[in-house]
Amino acid sequence: MRWATRAGIHVDRTASAWLIRRFVDPDAEFTFVGDPDEVPENATPFDMRGVELSHRGGECTFEAILRRYELDDAALSEIAQIVHEADLEDERYDVPEARGLDVLIRGLSMVRPDEEMLELTGPLYDGLYEYRRRATMLGREPS
Amino acid sequence: MAGRWVLLAYRLPREPSAPRLAIWRRLKRLGVAQLGDGLAALPLDSRNREQLEWLADEVIEADGQASIWIAEPATAAQERDLAAELQGQIASQYRAVAAEARKAAADGSRRHRRTLSRLRRELGRIRRRDYFPPPERDEAKRTVEALAQRLEEAAA
Repeated sequence: MRWATRAGIHVDRTASAWLIRRFVDPDAEFTFVGDPDEVPENATPFDMRGVELSHRGGECTFEAILRRYELDDAALSEIAQIVHEADLEDERYDVPEARGLDVLIRGLSMVRPDEEMLELTGPLYDGLYEYRRRATMLGREPS
Repeated sequence: MAGRWVLLAYRLPREPSAPRLAIWRRLKRLGVAQLGDGLAALPLDSRNREQLEWLADEVIEADGQASIWIAEPATAAQERDLAAELQGQIASQYRAVAAEARKAAADGSRRHRRTLSRLRRELGRIRRRDYFPPPERDEAKRTVEALAQRLEEAAA
């Protein structure tokens, strides 16, 4: 399937693309557009104004995708909190890692184009997911 | 020389008041310059634009009207006024942090370790919204670090 989002991706869009590819559509292909009117007809848009998979009621796009595809997974819910705080900074959740993640992704986006961002951040989110998954199983932070 | 700004023009129904209040809080947290009733501005960057766009969607969800504009002040004086408004808001936040740090340092008790980490976080939050740094910034930073040193000494 084709998916489309706004160009100039940061934390919510890189994390959402990872989530889509890993849990929703393994063959996902991503297109980056400058204006909502440029979304190809056969593509599902996300993290854009006025579409289903986007910010709603104070939640970020990553959270909207979890909800829409009923991805019920404790580690994903924790990543959702980190992405929420990195993206919205509204202090709804106490996740200090959010600030660090935001700085790393933002910095990376200054030196790499969008397509490459997905290749580079994919393993990072894989790792974050594994870490949160082990933490959930152990009931403490894994070393 | 005029910089570019992103504007949110919005109108919300008077009732219910909950969404009005929620939007107002979010605008305050973003540190906007309020240009008038229902018109808010931030210096243009991708993050500010995005945050105001999400807010516009929330206004629309709450049965209001909202639009996003990219604008340049027509005169340098107008831009100076706008910058001064934002700088003034931020300066008073820095002053509040400095005052609290001074008070905690004067007291010197070890329970102020918590105050210290809260004030450091608060400084970080203010700095991320500080587009036109006022002199109060360095003063606040110095005062908070002086508190840190005072607590170190008290523990030694």
